[in-house]
Amino acid sequence: MTTAVSIPRHGDTGGRTAVAARARQVVKAYGAGETRVVALDHVDVDIVRGQFTAIMGPSGSGKSTLMHCLAGLDTVTSGQIHLADTEITGLKDKKLTQLRRDRIGFIFQAFNLLPTLNAIENITLPMDIAGRKPDAGWLQQVVETVGLSDRLKHRPTQLSGGQQQRVAVARALAARPEIIFGDEPTGNLDSRAGAEVLSFLRRSVDELGQTIVMVTHDPVAASYADRVLYLADGSIVDEMKNPTAEQVLDRMKDFDARGRTS
Amino acid sequence: MTVWKTSMRNFLAHKGRMALSAVAVLLSVAFVCGTLVFTDTMNTTFDKLFAATSADVTVSPKTAETVDVPENGKPEALPASVVAEVGGVDGVKKAEGGVMSMAVTVVDADNKNLGSDTGAPTIAGNWTDNDLRSMEITSGHAPRGPTEVMIDADTAEKHHLRLGDEVRTIAVTGDIRAKITGIASFTVTNPGAAVVYLDTATAQEKLLGAPGVFTHISVSAEAGLTDAELKKKVAAALGDPGAYKLQTQEEAAAAGKDSMGSFLDVMKYAMLGFAGIAFLVGIFLIVNTFSMLVAQRTREIGLMRAIGSSRKQVNRSVLVEAVLLGIVGSVLGVAAGIGLAVGLMKLMGSIGMELSTKDLTVAWTTPVTGLALGIVVTVLAAYVPARRAGKVSPMAALRDAGTPADARSGWIRAGLGLALTGVGAAGLWATTQADEASEGSLYLGLGVVLTLIGFIVIGPLLAGVVVRVLGAVVLRLFGPVGRLAERNALRNPRRTGATGAALMIGLALVACLSVVGSSMVASATDELDKSVGTDFIVQSNTGQLIVPQAADAIEKVPGIEYVTNYKVLAAKLTNPDGSTADEHITAADPTYPRDLRRTTTAGDLSKAYGTDSMSVGSDYAALHKIEVGDEIAVAFKAGETAKLKVAAITSDDTTVDQGAMYVNITTAERHVAADRMPKNMIMFAAAEDGKEKEAYAALKSSLAAYPQYKVQNQADFKQDLKDQVGQLLNIVYGLLALAIIVAVLGVVNTLALSVVERTREIGLMRAIGLSRRQLRRMIRLESVVIALFGALLGLGLGMGWGTSAQKLLALEGLGVLEIPWPTIITVFVASAFVGLFAALVPAFRAGRMNVLNAIATDG
Repeated sequence: MTTAVSIPRHGDTGGRTAVAARARQVVKAYGAGETRVVALDHVDVDIVRGQFTAIMGPSGSGKSTLMHCLAGLDTVTSGQIHLADTEITGLKDKKLTQLRRDRIGFIFQAFNLLPTLNAIENITLPMDIAGRKPDAGWLQQVVETVGLSDRLKHRPTQLSGGQQQRVAVARALAARPEIIFGDEPTGNLDSRAGAEVLSFLRRSVDELGQTIVMVTHDPVAASYADRVLYLADGSIVDEMKNPTAEQVLDRMKDFDARGRTS
Repeated sequence: MTVWKTSMRNFLAHKGRMALSAVAVLLSVAFVCGTLVFTDTMNTTFDKLFAATSADVTVSPKTAETVDVPENGKPEALPASVVAEVGGVDGVKKAEGGVMSMAVTVVDADNKNLGSDTGAPTIAGNWTDNDLRSMEITSGHAPRGPTEVMIDADTAEKHHLRLGDEVRTIAVTGDIRAKITGIASFTVTNPGAAVVYLDTATAQEKLLGAPGVFTHISVSAEAGLTDAELKKKVAAALGDPGAYKLQTQEEAAAAGKDSMGSFLDVMKYAMLGFAGIAFLVGIFLIVNTFSMLVAQRTREIGLMRAIGSSRKQVNRSVLVEAVLLGIVGSVLGVAAGIGLAVGLMKLMGSIGMELSTKDLTVAWTTPVTGLALGIVVTVLAAYVPARRAGKVSPMAALRDAGTPADARSGWIRAGLGLALTGVGAAGLWATTQADEASEGSLYLGLGVVLTLIGFIVIGPLLAGVVVRVLGAVVLRLFGPVGRLAERNALRNPRRTGATGAALMIGLALVACLSVVGSSMVASATDELDKSVGTDFIVQSNTGQLIVPQAADAIEKVPGIEYVTNYKVLAAKLTNPDGSTADEHITAADPTYPRDLRRTTTAGDLSKAYGTDSMSVGSDYAALHKIEVGDEIAVAFKAGETAKLKVAAITSDDTTVDQGAMYVNITTAERHVAADRMPKNMIMFAAAEDGKEKEAYAALKSSLAAYPQYKVQNQADFKQDLKDQVGQLLNIVYGLLALAIIVAVLGVVNTLALSVVERTREIGLMRAIGLSRRQLRRMIRLESVVIALFGALLGLGLGMGWGTSAQKLLALEGLGVLEIPWPTIITVFVASAFVGLFAALVPAFRAGRMNVLNAIATDG
């Protein structure tokens, strides 16, 4: 469906394929018979390495489901999903857990941090769980980039919402995952804090070569992405490259109008 | 009305979360009701038994002991002429002379004791019409001559005896060998006494030592005459009121029950005490449950407040839930209690105490007590969380739910807890310094209660410290998962504190009792090592005296250097200062000081064994200002009054024979007629040098025909003592197990509710790569840490109590402190496993939690 290819900006990713994640004919259905609801209807999608991809769509369009499936959090009814060269559909829980731990980063809308751990402990948690030592230099760089150097010993309750999300972003980055998934990462933030987090995500793509997939319904948030995919009724209906907030909003209005007339 | 409705709905919605609290209430209530039903049933059984075995009026000699085995092994008797005299009284339908003795042992052909080993007596007597009221002959016939005997059906069944089998009845006058010619069954429940019937002449001669005498007369009334009226008539006819004891059926049954009653009461209150401990532990569980429910519902409660519910309404809605919980738990508990009582009866049956479910007695007070206790305790426990719910501000509805982490325990709590603990510790210290037992036990009680409350109050603060230390020692081994577990255990210190405290209570008691128990054994062993010189000790298992035929057998054993006879005589003493005292005099052979070494504070103990001499204990001497050379008038109950010269004063700083007054047996014999002379209570024997082994074996085989006696050398004696203490401790541990089970349920409860509370957190951790196994391990470790925290506090507290108690008991001769480290360490390690066990289900459920549901953002 998409053929967009971007040149890897990091020397060390040169050996990998240009596609970080790939979905082929993915179907996700709930229930059976009369009550069967199809959340994803034969979706094909390629997530390009080193790009910031936004997934948009109205409520119930299946955007969150798509992200959950791509991230190995949810199982698919049929179809295949590859993370780089690894097919993740059909993997056992143990393998999936390992994969999430070692190769994927997450940023959720809320409740991203363990209240019992301080900021730096939260950031290094995935590596701790894996029993790996964090790369000190990289960690330093990440922490500085998110601007949290003086807040590392704070507990989540002592941080503002924006700071908490930045810690979450830092955690996602610190383990150097192949791909970061964000589920409305700015959904709970005011516009200023949201902009801070989004520009930080943008920078991590530009400067650190990170691959990011973000689900959002906010056109402004989507405008930070390199590419926007539009989902409606479980299918990808459109995409847009290098969008601006106005363009995204127009397109959304367009869908809304069509949705109402159809 | 709405309050009721919301409470009802909340209760039903959270029934899973309430389940363990309900089980805690259930267990405690069941234990209370079970105890009540069981003891009531025992009472009913004995009421029926004594009512059935007592005649309308029973006449017996005034001096007759009620249950005790008489000193000389022969019960007091009255002549046959009295029977005739009573028979002639107007209004008497029938007067029957009866013989009954409990100073007997009955064995089968293999020398196996047919008596009960639960403490129920063996009774021998003659068969009278009065016995027909409680028994019926089910096979054969009543004994008709000296070689015939009838036994009760329960005993026959237990020992597989049939008509024609030979049994031997061992009495002080000799052994009675007879064939079973009849078997009689009780028509009421017989809880375990073994009963044999001899023909009247044999019973009189062998049990009472004289022909034509009886121990009692069973009198039945003519129709229309009450027992009391009959008693009056018989008393008037007999004249001398000092010679006979007359009891109506009611009085006899009451007297019989009195002798049982104290035992039943002790058992009842002891068991209720343990139920009380279980309730106390259950309170922590209930407090935790409601605290967590309130915390989880903060938003909901905020909404209720925002839309106009008053503080009181919110408060009440929580209490109503508590009432519902109390009702459910108690109702089930009452039912379970009755089941428990039946189970206990079956258990007693298996160890030889027969109780019939026909007698099962459920007084109306039992369910009422159970329900009231269950509901009141539950509501009391829920009161604090309910108040906290009332304090939730309407703003809570608008805030993010999230549980408040780091609920810091206040300074007030710290101050109060430390003050209580401090005062309690001071009390314990004062206990160790006390020189009066009564004063010391007051301090001890105060110290125990205050340190317990103090520890409960500062529990949350201690949780912080102890969990960190445990974390540093144990959890570090488990890396980041260990750290997460530590943080989780620390995040709500109040909860961890309360959960641990519940476990602490039970384990503190275990530790305290084990310290006291092993100190008891150590002290006694120490004392025995110091004072006991004899090689062998012979005494009865069941409080029977040593019959002469057994004593003769012991005397004849080869390889024995000498044998010491030891008798106890009741006497009334008149001291030089004019005071009198009822005491027991120990009459022994002069070799006794070699068997038991005593120190004297004045005089020479060997002189006390001289003719008409005696010794007294130092406390008695000090109390009555007696000095060596003084004369005491000793009125032997079985003989005349003798003037004995005090030749020695023994030190009372001992636990063996403390306060004993010694006379030589020959002295006693000068003042007590031979046939009234008490039989030996204990016998000691010393082996000839180098023949200890042979003598021991010979001694044992010489007593093979008398299984009611045990022969012990010093090692056996010590082991026996240890076993007895161990057995007692095991019973207490068994009863404490209830409290510990409730505490473990508390740990399960806390973990289960925590897992629910942390659903999103668990989802998050799973999403970022925590494996199921790591998640389960995290919860297990948290559980282990809580359990170890409770164990550490409990064992520490308990050892403190036990040590103080030992120092106090040192006044009573418990001089050696021994901390049973193996037990303490075993309990500590076992606590870790208890923690693992408690986490099984919560960890499993956490592992199965759906990651997506856990992190779902909308909805």
